[in-house]
Amino acid sequence: MLLFMLLALLLGCASVTSNMINFRATKALGTWNGTLVNYVVASILAFLLLNLTNHFHVDWNAFVKAPPYLYLGGVFGVIALVILMVSLNKMKVFQCTTLILVGQLTVGILFDILVYRNFTLLKLIGILFVAVGIILDKKLSTND
Amino acid sequence: MYALYVLIAGMLQSAMGSFNSMLSENIGLFGVSLVVHLSGGILLILFITLILRQKINLRGMPWYLYSAGFFGVVIVSVTSFCISHLGAAVTTCFSVTGQLLISSVIDHFGLFHVPKAKFETKRIPAILLILTGIIILNLA
Repeated sequence: MLLFMLLALLLGCASVTSNMINFRATKALGTWNGTLVNYVVASILAFLLLNLTNHFHVDWNAFVKAPPYLYLGGVFGVIALVILMVSLNKMKVFQCTTLILVGQLTVGILFDILVYRNFTLLKLIGILFVAVGIILDKKLSTND
Repeated sequence: MYALYVLIAGMLQSAMGSFNSMLSENIGLFGVSLVVHLSGGILLILFITLILRQKINLRGMPWYLYSAGFFGVVIVSVTSFCISHLGAAVTTCFSVTGQLLISSVIDHFGLFHVPKAKFETKRIPAILLILTGIIILNLA
């Protein structure tokens, strides 16, 4: 459990680094091309890693057999990305991060209850503490 | 109105994480990363050329900025992995806490040429709330 939590923390660090690089890429190539470059390089890299880890015998059948609706994840991601890129400079950072967090946690909790069925009251309390802490921290550290 | 859209964006991101984590049971973590970036890339190309009517150009920036793609693969794969074990809500909690930690360190020391912004003690109550939450989540 602790290992996964540490990994999730590191994930946050990777996100910040990635955002900084992406931001500079959008400065160099323009907003949309700078975003696209991330997807193109990542596709090539993922294709190579997928082949390497499977010793060049990738089971492409598994891709066909997977439930089709699970492929919607990528579509959701792009819609979210476009919404955020269009709205970010039209809203205050504080309001924006709070709304994203609330949206993420609501759906995350719904999935925990309905799909993974591993939701407990203690978990809810822990999530609320972290969420309120994060929102409060944003409020305290933004000066507007 | 933008507020509602941003809320929906957050919801979509979380749903993406959960879907990806389930998909990874079928096609593996790198398989998910390939699918997400390939489908996302194709949709973006359509959006840029058909809706925005802009030209595609990916050349002419310093080589190290192309590492954005490396982080993309790591983030999608590790997120799917963590959600499989922690669930989406707890993964979000820890990932956002990690973001907060690393951006505080970057700001405090002015790393990567960002303007220096010292850590302010008024943030301590918020940090304590987050820590309490993390301890509770460890017990849950």
